[in-house]
Amino acid sequence: MSIIVRDVGKSFGDFAALTDVSVEIPTGSLTALLGPSGGGKSTLLRVIAGLESPDTGGVEIEGRDATRLPAQDRGVGFVFQHYAAFKHLTVQRNVAFGLEIRKRPKAEIKEKVRELLELVHLEQFAHRYPAQLSGGQRQRMALARALAVEPQVLLLDEPFGALDAQVRKELRAWLRRLHDQVHVTTVFVTHDQEEAMEVADSIVVMAQGKVEQVGSPDDLYDAPANDFVMSFLGPVTKLDGQLVRPHDIELFTETRPDTTPAVVDRVTRLGFEVRVDLTVGEEEVWAQVTRGTLDQLGIEEGRTVHVRRAAPVRAAAV
Amino acid sequence: MASPGVLVKPAVRGLALLYLTFLLVIPVGLIFWRTFENGLAPVIDGLTTQATIHAFQLTAVIAFWAVLANTVFGVVAALLLVRYDFRGKRVLNALIDLPLAVSPVIVGLSLILVYGRTTGIGQALAGIGINIIFSIPGMVMATIFVSIPLVVRAVAPVLEEIGDDQEQAARTLGAGPVQTFRRITLPSIRGALAYGVVLAAARSLGEYGAVAVVSGRLVGRTQTVTLLVQERYLNFDQETAYACALLLVVTAVLALGVSRLLAPKEIKR
Amino acid sequence: MSLLPGATPAPPTAPRRRPLHGKGQAIGLGFVVLYLSVIVLIPLAAVVATSQENGLAGFWKAVTTPEASSTLKLTIGASFLVAVINCLMGTMIAWLLVRDRLPGRGFFDALIDLPFALPTIVAGLALLTVYGTDSPLGLDIAYSRLAVVVALLFVTLPFVVRTVQPVLLELDREMEQAAASLGAGPATIFFRIILPNILPAMAAGTALSFARAVSEFGSTVLISGNLPFKTQVASVHIFNQLENDNVAGAAAVATVLLVVALVMLVALDVLQRWGARRG
Repeated sequence: MSIIVRDVGKSFGDFAALTDVSVEIPTGSLTALLGPSGGGKSTLLRVIAGLESPDTGGVEIEGRDATRLPAQDRGVGFVFQHYAAFKHLTVQRNVAFGLEIRKRPKAEIKEKVRELLELVHLEQFAHRYPAQLSGGQRQRMALARALAVEPQVLLLDEPFGALDAQVRKELRAWLRRLHDQVHVTTVFVTHDQEEAMEVADSIVVMAQGKVEQVGSPDDLYDAPANDFVMSFLGPVTKLDGQLVRPHDIELFTETRPDTTPAVVDRVTRLGFEVRVDLTVGEEEVWAQVTRGTLDQLGIEEGRTVHVRRAAPVRAAAV
Repeated sequence: MASPGVLVKPAVRGLALLYLTFLLVIPVGLIFWRTFENGLAPVIDGLTTQATIHAFQLTAVIAFWAVLANTVFGVVAALLLVRYDFRGKRVLNALIDLPLAVSPVIVGLSLILVYGRTTGIGQALAGIGINIIFSIPGMVMATIFVSIPLVVRAVAPVLEEIGDDQEQAARTLGAGPVQTFRRITLPSIRGALAYGVVLAAARSLGEYGAVAVVSGRLVGRTQTVTLLVQERYLNFDQETAYACALLLVVTAVLALGVSRLLAPKEIKR
Repeated sequence: MSLLPGATPAPPTAPRRRPLHGKGQAIGLGFVVLYLSVIVLIPLAAVVATSQENGLAGFWKAVTTPEASSTLKLTIGASFLVAVINCLMGTMIAWLLVRDRLPGRGFFDALIDLPFALPTIVAGLALLTVYGTDSPLGLDIAYSRLAVVVALLFVTLPFVVRTVQPVLLELDREMEQAAASLGAGPATIFFRIILPNILPAMAAGTALSFARAVSEFGSTVLISGNLPFKTQVASVHIFNQLENDNVAGAAAVATVLLVVALVMLVALDVLQRWGARRG
């Protein structure tokens, strides 16, 4: 295990940001801390980094007790949401910073920086200042800077939160590829479940200062531990008082075993998928079907259909 | 997160506090002490002599006119600088800030050289009964000079921040320029204007050097409160000097307090 | 950066600026130009013109009399010393106000502006009370050059503090945290991260305090005794020359001071650009 967090608690005044949080992060993995704003994810990340000290509990990094170590001695790289670029230094000097203060020989620094700038595709910006770069470029520089000192652990705090949707998507994929190349234990914080699902090997879902569930993206999607995890990680609707995925609702034109009658309120075509809003008894439910199904069944507004929850068709339980 | 130094922090704190205490707190505090050293009676005496009362009145009058003039100037200049582009704008900007860099004695000297009794302008004006130098108009001009930037620089950032959307809206609704100004612009800069006026008033009440040169310092005729303080001190009338100094300190402190309350958020720290 | 303490730095270009046209605007501009000419421009021009009354030679003679050169040396020397002290102490005080958790910080913060609001003669009197012949602390430095320096320190106190303070307030703390995560200790963080970012503000404040010190008059009048060749600053010298009807001489030294002021304004403009470029 690269990082072990044991029973960490942290409060800011009356507000309990973290309560009895315990997490284990495997070496070399790419883990996401996922959850709604204010849930404690950033606080946990900062506790691991040493930028905050926990009130209770401890942190172990690569087998060493790091709980009382200051940030500069923990060997963690940290990437901030708003880049924290050294605005008075060029891109090159930014990336070189960690090496310069370790008094490495100039030639070594120069080579290492060149390598890293190539890795993040910022070679031609080496002599520019951060203010002259776009947000995405600044974040890549911040990553290169953090990697320069070869940290044991790389921590990213909502790294793409301040960027446009398009740039975010690009950098997500890029982060995944980078991790495949560099293999350093990486933990990133996000409130975007799509991002977590797309990028991470394993996800830690957190809300209100507590860990809700830990698992792979598939685990969490198919076998959520509770209603919160289920609704956070994907679309949900309520049928018979139970949460169910809209694409797990089957529609029929005649009754079948276990079906309930429903009235179609509205049909919305969203590209390939179709959203069907239904009223089942007193409940308002929506189902997700393909265009094919829609045409086949001839579903229209006002018609009565029969719905039931689909039997689980999962390949193999993980 | 540790801020620089474990030993450095108390050293910086100690040194800074010591400096402030000995340079600022003790001297100003001592004025209070010295004033009331011999009780309240000499203070009252000092503050109620003919010369003192005249000085108060004169200072108030001069400050009033100077602030009024600079307020009008300040609003017009701010509007011009913020809403328009024109040739020579940078020069205008620099000129407005210039008074802050000029020694008060030079201010007085410069006015004497143009409006003094020996100059063409001075004599022409004297011919129609207006005396500038060694008289109130000159003192008002000198006071205006030193406080020119204050209202402008208080109002301009707020005008900038607000933008002219509201004024344009008013115009589309049929308001003329004067109406727009009175009903829209002026109310929107009220706070900043008050702030600038307080700063200008404090400055005008406390001006010394420029007025010293331009007034001739005639006791009972062209002596402001600041001039009175100096003259009384040099004539060994310490009670009056300290009493008036105390009054000026209190005024300054009040002005500071009021100005901090009024400071628009664009200027507030 | 305006010379005005506490004012924001020059605002970014406004989204909409119209060219001047129309009667109202023309009248406004005319009024502003007239106002400034009558009160500032023409009088200051007259000072420079009068200093050339006896030609360049006369100007030079007036500025190099033993008394004049002594006073100019004292003024510029003392102002320089004061500027350096302010650079150091001002930054420390700004640090105290921004980063320190001292109770009563608000009191000192409000107090810093007092030298701006206080009449200079009262400042002089206050200093005389503490550091003059009747000093309750037993510290008598009246009629000395040290007294001049102390007076100048008083009136220039706010300048560096108020230019550095907003920059410190806005400094991105995450930069310091990033540096820490990269292994930098507190001293390294200060010298490599914080200091480079406050340097333009420190320089600007220092230049401002120099300009102010050079032109100071009222606060030195009482405590220095204005002893010629010893404690007489340039403004007092000009005052005396005026009293003795040596108008050209007064104008000459005044012109020197105006040139110094001009140089400072240019320097400040340059510094402002330097600071802005850093982003």
